[in-house]
Amino acid sequence: MSKAIIITLFSLAGIAFLVLAYLSRREPSRVPSLGSMSAFVMEYRVGKVPVGRIAVLGFWWWAGWHFFAR
Amino acid sequence: MNPGRMASAMSADGDNEGMDQPRATAEDVRPWDRAVVTYPLFALIALVGGLFPSFGLTANLLVIGIGGTMFWLGISGRAGRRAAPQGVPRGAAWWLLPVLLFASTELFAFSKHSIEDYPTLSLLADPFLEHYTAKAASYFVWLVAFWGLVRR
Repeated sequence: MSKAIIITLFSLAGIAFLVLAYLSRREPSRVPSLGSMSAFVMEYRVGKVPVGRIAVLGFWWWAGWHFFAR
Repeated sequence: MNPGRMASAMSADGDNEGMDQPRATAEDVRPWDRAVVTYPLFALIALVGGLFPSFGLTANLLVIGIGGTMFWLGISGRAGRRAAPQGVPRGAAWWLLPVLLFASTELFAFSKHSIEDYPTLSLLADPFLEHYTAKAASYFVWLVAFWGLVRR
């Protein structure tokens, strides 16, 4: 039962993600694209250190390693 | 788009209005930086990457090598970048819905320490990724998304 709930919650998150991605591509849209959101987060800096860029790229690198190499 | 070209384009009018998500023109695109070049390359890497079993040395080396190259390209800006939106994009809060739902579910499942009853996403994905086609396709999606992030 608990496993089914977890799978349902992950599925709902995935569906919400896809719906927002679709809505963001319509013209005009009140939802920014995922690319715009990524760019906005990646612009975050602390001094000269591109913290947002390091965090996003590092997370995606880790995600690839986590799913494909371990 | 070449960062230098982008900067000059933005400064020509004194602001970046209309430059929220500029597209690279043909003359800005490097010969190797075209979908007809990068996508087949990513497909080749994905087809090879799908062959390697998890926990293997080759699988680790490939992900670390490819990921490290992408990471370096993204940090150094050598692959070019598009202009970022100024300020918080309108309607950005909508994206918190799937992000928070996913993150809270993952954290909750992880905190339970029960693989059978409360599996995390990676545990659920393991049986799927044991199939070569699924793993190679997922590898390809990971690479394409990584390339998109590198150029943001």
